[in-house]
Amino acid sequence: MGFKESLKDAVRQMSFRTSLDSLKKKGVQQVSVLGIDRIIALIEAAVHRSLKSRLVGVEREAIADATKAEFLRLLRSNEDLQRQKSEIEQQRERAEDEIDTLRREIAQQSQALQLKLEQDALSVATRYQGENAAIALKVAEVVKSLAQTPGATLSTAEQRVMELVMDVVSGERQQADTARRALHDREVDNLQRRIKKLNDSLVTTEQRLQQVAAMKQVDGGISSVYREVQGVGSADAQVEKKKELMAGIFQANLKLQKKAQPGA
Amino acid sequence: MSETNDKDGTGGKNHGVLYIGMDLGTSRTSVSASNGVRETVYSMVGYPKDVVSQKLLKKDVLFGKEALEKRLSLKVYKPLEKGVLKYTGDGSMDAEAKANLKAAQDLIGEAIRLAKPRKDELVYCVIGAPAEASVKNREAIIEAARAHVDSVMLCSEPFSVAYGLDWLEDVLVIDIGAGTTDLCRMHGTMPEEADQVMFDIAGDAVDAELAKRITESCPGAQFTIQMVKDIKERYGYVGDAAERCMVDLPVDGKPTAFDLTEQVRAACSILIDPIVKGIHKLVATFDPEFQTRLKNRVLLAGGGSMVKGLDSAVEKAMKERLGGGKVIRIEEPIYGGANGALKIAHDMPADFWEQLK
Repeated sequence: MGFKESLKDAVRQMSFRTSLDSLKKKGVQQVSVLGIDRIIALIEAAVHRSLKSRLVGVEREAIADATKAEFLRLLRSNEDLQRQKSEIEQQRERAEDEIDTLRREIAQQSQALQLKLEQDALSVATRYQGENAAIALKVAEVVKSLAQTPGATLSTAEQRVMELVMDVVSGERQQADTARRALHDREVDNLQRRIKKLNDSLVTTEQRLQQVAAMKQVDGGISSVYREVQGVGSADAQVEKKKELMAGIFQANLKLQKKAQPGA
Repeated sequence: MSETNDKDGTGGKNHGVLYIGMDLGTSRTSVSASNGVRETVYSMVGYPKDVVSQKLLKKDVLFGKEALEKRLSLKVYKPLEKGVLKYTGDGSMDAEAKANLKAAQDLIGEAIRLAKPRKDELVYCVIGAPAEASVKNREAIIEAARAHVDSVMLCSEPFSVAYGLDWLEDVLVIDIGAGTTDLCRMHGTMPEEADQVMFDIAGDAVDAELAKRITESCPGAQFTIQMVKDIKERYGYVGDAAERCMVDLPVDGKPTAFDLTEQVRAACSILIDPIVKGIHKLVATFDPEFQTRLKNRVLLAGGGSMVKGLDSAVEKAMKERLGGGKVIRIEEPIYGGANGALKIAHDMPADFWEQLK
């Protein structure tokens, strides 16, 4: 509710109603009428005049002090915000570093796992080739001896022996494979668990980073109004003098920074 | 070369060059940057005293007002003294000197950070340093800054004030800092040793004088030098008092009101005599044809120039001793040096910056 409306309500509440008859009974023949808007205007004018006159005196200092106090409070609040922002920026930088480290670790672990898998596949293939050759040689020797045995068909004997041997070998292989796989799976499993853990950690860190970013608007800096190095403008009234002065400052700094001047 | 901000219509957000002008002062360090940022920080650096305070403060290093407020938990360094680094650069440097050098490096880093550079921008910085800083000291400032910027140059502090205002000829700059007051006459070329006068009667000397006078005249009053500095910055004046300097100081734990009007005036007045002597020396050794012009173009800059009535008091003293003169207080005493250094950074040709990378 506005100031004027509040005043109107107050005036209405403080006034009382009466009839013309009751006024006549009291001997009142004429009344002067003052509209509510006029009353409000008078009150406003009186308040403004009073405030104006008081502001010249002691209360102006009080108001000035209050304003200063409020200004200082806002200033402090601004400083607090700046401090919070700085802390958030530090948190963000730490989180970014952590993410970088985690990403590097994941890459290293993945590389190690891949290498391990490739090495294993190669060694298994080589081993199988050797074993097969040895078995085939033994079978050939058996067949050869069977061939020297009267009444036996060569092909039937070879087939039977081969089936027998391969059956045995296959059984052995299955057992060995199971054992090897169990060993291999443990290593792979460990590596995969470590990678999963790193991934989880990465997700958590990224979530934290998002939370930090959501908490406050993190300032990425303010752009310079210049996109290139400027130099003294040719329109400058003292352009030559300034160029000389710039050269003087540069030479002094060059000497100080112990850098060799081109062509010197 | 005057390619400006929004060539590609991206609102100037592309990669660019951020110029920074820095006034590395004993009391305050101010920066003005080409992105519109202007900041000032007390030249004070604090490191947590132990693991407990580090955990409590959640920071490895604090600066400026924050360091001042938390000083009881910190090992506090003010790395500059009398306008130069507390660093000799010789082999016999002790642990304290090394710590001050580290604090200076961190302070410069903080000042650069306050300028809010974008990560993808080149940062070129000009630092205003006292004219009489030693070569080792200047090298130390350069090294401290190198960690934070792409290219850096030093220049004389009073020169940068004059350059910032485009007053390059026949002007005498008085830069009143905390540690030193530097006077420098400009005559269109780089100022030489003979063009400069430096003395250590400056803001800190006023604080010491005021502290002495309070001790003498206010029995039992308890105060620190920081409280004295605050009183000076609030009420400092010379000449006629515009207001009474009523200050509450604790006496035996109870705040007690003291009228320090006269003490403040007397303490601030110690600046006038050496300044006028310095002006006298620089005017008297200047080309006689231009001495009057020089006397009428005296610029008052630096935090110390904010003492009320100082310009009028120096003018009055010049009239008595030099037959007249005109003293002008610059509009922004705190940022005068930084603004000038920024202008130098901006006017420096690109190949000069490149060579100092």
